[in-house]
Amino acid sequence: MADSGGTAAVRRCDSGSVSSIGMDTISALTELEDLERVYQQLCDGEKEVEAKLDRLVAQEGNIHTKMLALQRMGPNLQLIGGDASQLSGMITFTCSLAENVSRKVRQLDLAKTRLYNVIQRTDDILDLKFCTDGVQTALHNEDYEQAAAHIHRYLSLDQSVIELSRQGEESSAVDASLVLLQEAEQKLKVIVAEKLDEAVAAVDLAQVERFFKIFPLLGLHQQGLARFGQYLCSQLASKAEENLILATGGDLGEKRAQLIFADTLTLLLEGIARVVETHQPIVETYYGLDPIWTHSMMKSVPGEIIEPRELDPVLSEVTLMNARAELYLRFLRRRIMADFEVGDIQKHQQNMEKLLKHCLLSTNMQELIGYYIPMEEYYMRESVNKAVAMDTYEKGQLTSSMVDDCFYIVKKCISRALSSSSIDCLCAMINHANSVLESDFREVLYNKLRQGFPATTLQDIQRNVSSAVILMQSSLQQGKFNTLGIESTENAKAAFLVTLNNVEVCSENITTLKRNLENDCSKLFSQTGGSGDQAKIESCLSDLVNTSTKFKDLLQEGLTELNTTAIKPQVKPWISSFLAISHNIEEEEFNDYEANDPWVQQLIINLEQLMTEFKMALSPVIYDTLTSLMTSLVSIEMEKTVLKCSFSRLGGLQFDKELRSLVAYLTTVTTWTIRDKFARLTQMATILNLERVTEILDYWGSNSGPLTWRLTPAEVRQVLALRIDFRSEDIKRLRL
Amino acid sequence: MSMEDYDYLFKIVLIGNAGVGKTCLVRRFTQGLFPPGQGATIGVDFMIKTVEIRGEKVKLQIWDTAGQERFRSITQSYYRSANALILTYDITCEDSFRCLPEWLREIEQYANNQVVTILVGNKIDLAEKREVLRQKAEDFAESQSMLYLETSAKESDNVEKLFLDLACELIREAKQNKLDNTDSAPMPGEGKAISYLSCCSLN
Repeated sequence: MADSGGTAAVRRCDSGSVSSIGMDTISALTELEDLERVYQQLCDGEKEVEAKLDRLVAQEGNIHTKMLALQRMGPNLQLIGGDASQLSGMITFTCSLAENVSRKVRQLDLAKTRLYNVIQRTDDILDLKFCTDGVQTALHNEDYEQAAAHIHRYLSLDQSVIELSRQGEESSAVDASLVLLQEAEQKLKVIVAEKLDEAVAAVDLAQVERFFKIFPLLGLHQQGLARFGQYLCSQLASKAEENLILATGGDLGEKRAQLIFADTLTLLLEGIARVVETHQPIVETYYGLDPIWTHSMMKSVPGEIIEPRELDPVLSEVTLMNARAELYLRFLRRRIMADFEVGDIQKHQQNMEKLLKHCLLSTNMQELIGYYIPMEEYYMRESVNKAVAMDTYEKGQLTSSMVDDCFYIVKKCISRALSSSSIDCLCAMINHANSVLESDFREVLYNKLRQGFPATTLQDIQRNVSSAVILMQSSLQQGKFNTLGIESTENAKAAFLVTLNNVEVCSENITTLKRNLENDCSKLFSQTGGSGDQAKIESCLSDLVNTSTKFKDLLQEGLTELNTTAIKPQVKPWISSFLAISHNIEEEEFNDYEANDPWVQQLIINLEQLMTEFKMALSPVIYDTLTSLMTSLVSIEMEKTVLKCSFSRLGGLQFDKELRSLVAYLTTVTTWTIRDKFARLTQMATILNLERVTEILDYWGSNSGPLTWRLTPAEVRQVLALRIDFRSEDIKRLRL
Repeated sequence: MSMEDYDYLFKIVLIGNAGVGKTCLVRRFTQGLFPPGQGATIGVDFMIKTVEIRGEKVKLQIWDTAGQERFRSITQSYYRSANALILTYDITCEDSFRCLPEWLREIEQYANNQVVTILVGNKIDLAEKREVLRQKAEDFAESQSMLYLETSAKESDNVEKLFLDLACELIREAKQNKLDNTDSAPMPGEGKAISYLSCCSLN
């Protein structure tokens, strides 16, 4: 070890920093310095080597202990090696075992499947045989339900299995069964179809339903439904025809049939699609009847001139038919909706609405309504014309017969349109009614008013006695006393007043009609809904309001006319007679006036007389409006007249007294407040009653208190100037 | 009535052959929709749109009528109260144009004299299928003293303009009427014998 250490050391020296200090080099050294340096180097090397050796020796113990530990582990390792090889053996064994087991399971599984197939086939073959036998016996016994059940069973067998069975050993037997079954199926189909036809022909509902139920079992859903539909159609057709012959409106039959049809359908059919599919052909063929109906009805209504009353039953029938059709559609809608899945209601609903709206029944009913509307309009217009032509007026009545008659007709026509349950029909009739009222009927009333209120009144005749006398004389000369002139005048007056009442009642009636229709419609809508429809009706109804307003306007115009022609010419001279009564008076005359009223009492009597005639003949509302017009007229005329007079202090007092009497009287004849209309006059009286000019200031401006002056300062001055005892300088000096 | 929130209320009725696009025009204007596969209208449909024209609120009541013959008696009942009629045809359908004189006869018979009628050629989006030349339609409209406009409900061309122009025209006429009326109406209490004739005249 030391040797190896020495060589190592030497080698280290060789490769060390000292450049090749070999023996040769040393022996070649001659100089002491060199030797010492080399020696030093060698000493350093030796020290280094020694240190290394020390370190290596120190490791020896450590290595020794490790060697010992290794020696102790030896037997353990041998044990582990044995265990490991044993485990490997076991795993190999288990693996092969598992493979074995799984192969066996697979085999078992296969065996099981085959077994099942065998059982299935056996079952099928048994079933087939059973069906074959069953069908034969059932057919023999005429137990068609049973036979159909067997066929149904056969049809539901897996066709491939049957095919497979045929390839087996028993192919001939199976073949025979199959042939038998197919024969039986065909036979049964033919029989069932025949029987159904027979039952249909015999109108035996129980049998029809019996065979109808068999059809789906034979896989003939469509055919069965078609046949059943045909049956129902023919049923309905004959019933409807019967009813038509009996003229009892076949709606009852229709309704009942609908229910049977629907009940049977719900019993037998599942699935919306099919329901819709089935409904439509049946509905369409069924209601293929309607054109026949319409036709027969139209035939009974030849063009030319028709007595409106004859239309009555036809119109009622048409609306009833439409109402029934609407009811039927509503029923269908409800039924179909009930069948829809909750999820896709909206989509279905749209389709359904489209279907229902455009189905033949709807189209036919729309056409029918299309015919109905002009007929109803004709009926309404003609009846109203008739009511106008037959108009009578009984004394003591405010209105004449045509107003009641006309509204009776209009109401009847609209109610009938309403009873059709068709919103468009109702709207159209409201429009027409509006047109009849606003144009035709209003025109009639308008023309009557246009003839005007005859200007010649009794008073006129009295005033023009001379001319009247001449008239009478001429009449007498002709040998007869002609009162015709006066009589016809009276008639014309009455006619005018009655017409005014008529106009007012019309306006009222239209409002009532609108209100009632609103109620009726809201009832209708609680059943059908449809906000769009409601808006439509509301809009049509609101036109009625406009018409009512037009009648009100007409009334106003008529009253203005009456006021202008009958009241104004009378009242004007009565008031201007005030001018003839001097109000420039002293004590004596004032007292005299007190004893013998010079003017106002006569005016009141005259007004009373004038208005009595109208009070009797006009409705309270109109009379009140007329009185109001009269009152305004009086106040305007009074004002004009007063401004043309001159007053003394007592004259002012006299005027105040007169005005108070007049206002007190007028207050009793009208429900309107007339204080307002006479406010200006009252203020004029106040001014005319002043002691001095400056006294006005006690009432003017900040001193006016609750009084609101209706006179302008200029007017106040003008009135003050009427007092002969007021000096114009004082008036001018006033600060107002 | 006066309580409601508008200055003018006009009734506009759309008429014309079936399938020319009346419902689509109304839908486009009132709802901004072009519903494809629109089914035929049953009877009449009713829509409302309020527009503002020069600061005035104008409520348009639009009645969309069915073009099919069997609804004619229903639709006719709306003519009389209409302020304006939109007579519509389909520029790709010569037939619908040829029927116009028939429609004009209807208007003559049922509508009031003051009604404003506008002729509308719809479906200009289908320019390649055009069967009625614009010039021809314009000449016809002029001969009948109607306004004329071509529209596309599908592309929303001129639809807004159609209704707004109409509303402007109606406002203009309403103002004119008001002026006429106040001119001739008698002052209350004034002695104009039977002067109320003028403002009650039934055209």
